Amino acid sequence: MKRLAELKQAGHKAFVAYIMAGDGGIKKLGEQIQYLQERGVTAIEVGIPFSDPVADGPTIEAAGNRALDEGITLEKVLDEMQRFDFEVKVPLVIMTYLNPVIRFGAERFTQEAKKAGASGVIIPDLPFEHRQLIEPFAKQQELVLIQLVTLTTIDSRLEEILKEAQGFVYAVTVTGITGSRDELAEEVGAFTRKVRELSPVPVYAGFGISKESHVDMLRDDVDGFIVGSAIVQAFHEGRIEDIEPLIDAVTAPHSV
Amino acid sequence: MTRVKICGLMEEQHVKAASQADAIGFVFAPSKRRVSIERAQELSRLANNDMQRIGVFVNASYEEIEKAVKAVPLTMVQLHGDEPDELIQRIEVPVIQAFSIRTPDDVEKLNNSIADYILVDAPGTDYRGGSGHVFDWSLLENVNLDHSRLILAGGLNRDNVRAAISQTAPFMVDVSSGVETDGRKDEAKIQQFILQAKGDSMERTQEKTIDPVGFFGRYGGQFVPETLMKAVKELEAAYEDAKNDDEFQKEYHHYLSEYVGREQPLTFAARMTEAWGGPKIYLKREDLNHTGAHKVNNAIGQALLAQRMGKRKIVAETGAGQHGVATATICALFDLDCVVFMGEEDIKRQQLNVFRMKLLGARVESVTKGSGTLKDAVNEALRYWVTNVEDTHYLIGSALGPHPFPTMVRDFQSVIGKETKRQILDKEGRLPDAIVACVGGGSNAIGMFHPFVDDEKVRLIGAEAAGEGVDTERHAATLTKGSEGVLHGAMMKILQDDAGQVQEAHSISAGLDYPGIGPEHAHLADNGRVTYEAITDDEALASVIEMSRLEGIIPALESAHAIAQAKKQAQSMTADELLVICVSGRGDKDMATYAEKLEGLS
Ligand SMILES: Cc1ncc(COP(=O)(O)O)c(C=O)c1O
Repeated sequence: MKRLAELKQAGHKAFVAYIMAGDGGIKKLGEQIQYLQERGVTAIEVGIPFSDPVADGPTIEAAGNRALDEGITLEKVLDEMQRFDFEVKVPLVIMTYLNPVIRFGAERFTQEAKKAGASGVIIPDLPFEHRQLIEPFAKQQELVLIQLVTLTTIDSRLEEILKEAQGFVYAVTVTGITGSRDELAEEVGAFTRKVRELSPVPVYAGFGISKESHVDMLRDDVDGFIVGSAIVQAFHEGRIEDIEPLIDAVTAPHSV
Repeated sequence: MTRVKICGLMEEQHVKAASQADAIGFVFAPSKRRVSIERAQELSRLANNDMQRIGVFVNASYEEIEKAVKAVPLTMVQLHGDEPDELIQRIEVPVIQAFSIRTPDDVEKLNNSIADYILVDAPGTDYRGGSGHVFDWSLLENVNLDHSRLILAGGLNRDNVRAAISQTAPFMVDVSSGVETDGRKDEAKIQQFILQAKGDSMERTQEKTIDPVGFFGRYGGQFVPETLMKAVKELEAAYEDAKNDDEFQKEYHHYLSEYVGREQPLTFAARMTEAWGGPKIYLKREDLNHTGAHKVNNAIGQALLAQRMGKRKIVAETGAGQHGVATATICALFDLDCVVFMGEEDIKRQQLNVFRMKLLGARVESVTKGSGTLKDAVNEALRYWVTNVEDTHYLIGSALGPHPFPTMVRDFQSVIGKETKRQILDKEGRLPDAIVACVGGGSNAIGMFHPFVDDEKVRLIGAEAAGEGVDTERHAATLTKGSEGVLHGAMMKILQDDAGQVQEAHSISAGLDYPGIGPEHAHLADNGRVTYEAITDDEALASVIEMSRLEGIIPALESAHAIAQAKKQAQSMTADELLVICVSGRGDKDMATYAEKLEGLS
């Protein structure tokens, strides 16, 4: 995760890819990670399927259902990651809803995630208030618990959350669920600027990012972008090459 | 649950790290952890109000102790020297007396202490007050000792505290050096120690989170995406305000009486009483409410609150369609925009209610995902709310969801139990012996039970749906078969597989077809105040016929579960006892199911 701060210092933008673990079978997980790191992404979020993903739109929900149909569980994903026979060169972050973690055991989860080579965890339905359920265990394993901030996060709360932010901050750029959008709202730029001013760690924009026009719009106001639905769908349809221009648009050196 | 004391605190950040503990200790005796009264005062200000503040002394005078008690102020005093009983007696706050344990004889001495609590420690080395060494816990086993006054100390750390608790079952564990690194307190170790001592990560939320409001024991909370946190907090504040506002309460009760038609009778069911041959049966008639079920009590309350918050758009989920109809009705009355999400499967079996909602001007959105029932409808309603949160209120239909919903829905439904209490006292001059209500998410039951929870003589029984049987795969018996988990914004009991995926529920009754049970019920089940029994589809159908023919009241399928359970209950009750059944709704909506299932009825 230190690498993310260095990247920011060097003035480069980060590209974080979200994938749904086990969409297409568990063996796809390693293949997809290898592909993405070769293509120069900065970090990868490994999504764990859940039966009731209320923060997700139709694309990721459908991917999750496909993975569930393959019998994918949190445990299987962590096992598979521990068996990777290639070098993982980018930080991996586990993104999961809270219930599978509780069922698995919070402490055991952080231990296994560490063994699986993860650097951090994102739990979209674990608000800042209840982070104590996971954070002490995460700390023990030196995993960072990434916090989300949104357009509806009020200022006092934003400050509180950012004060303790580690790894990177996930700035949610839509008032809504995950999924590709044509346009982002005007106020998003002001929002990410504000977050960036307050945040001790890099600020990445996510939810709805699917086009170069989104990247152009926010480039100066964030330290990186998180792309989910567009990647998940492209992998599913066997046309991941289509994403390459978007990765390049983010990571290519840019004159200011 | 075992309490936790973090002792020997000297720095601000360590007091904060101990915020989940039950007690913090300041050492006033000579020690490397000694603090002045002034310093203890400063540190004490950072702790929660309900935190015990304990001062540790060794052979101090009464005056010194009293001074510290008043100044900090301390809520307890812990004595490690040879303090005489007279001194212990004089101290006004509760006293903990410390003992070093080496041999079985030392254990004997504990029972002679006149202090409120006894703290057991390994023999000290450099100075009195504990050495950080473990003593042989087994010395405390099989001896005559009141463990409810036992505080365990000495060499505890995050790795051994669980074993120590299970071996000695103390009232509280006390740690100091075990949460230090190189002689200084360590925030991570403090937090990990507390987590370990309080059991698995979930038990930790029990009675105590950063914000204990919104929890029933370990259940409840606000497990929602960050986008919703603002709305949830605003709602919490708005409800808190409204609850204490007489005008709001007046308006709510005005609509309950003028529009819903309350209060509803508590009908003596003479023929059922006779047929069952047991207790006197009374029926609480929620079926007589406008729109046909208890759901409207809650819909009115929340719709008034939404308007108070300036929100004129409402989203709701519905299972049986009763909550959807109630919401659509109230939205028509108050001219609010209304969207109702309903599972595809439920739309099929509750056609009449779908039509009613549309007639009332609501938009009904069919949910085809998952099992196409209530759980999936809640998911879609939540997604809709995340997307439209700024101007929309989510009018949840049961005692579910993130805080404040479970409390608020319970409060609005408590009118059922309050009326019942008044009515039974009028009619019988005493409280009932047992009350039965059906539980889906739990709103009619909690509304009925809540006013009776402190009346311990009144047995409270919830009837959940066993579907085709609790030993089949097709049931909705969350309390019989479920386990704790987080769904729809709260920690509650849910039906789930080993991987934490929520399972589909099955019940002939759309309103009970939900794989979770609200947090307050989960808590009442754990503490045993309410017992929950599962009723099968067939048993419920039989009760529909029985009540229709005996009393001329056709119950809703949901309510029929309560009736079936009541019949079982009645078997073990006598003629001088009283049994109340909550008839949560009427059967009009279920007529198509009745026609199909009861075909050939003669
Ligand atoms: C008549 C009736 N009773 C009971 C229920 C179950 O809900 P709850 O457990 O919240 O009372 C419903 C739900 O639709 C209902 O329509």
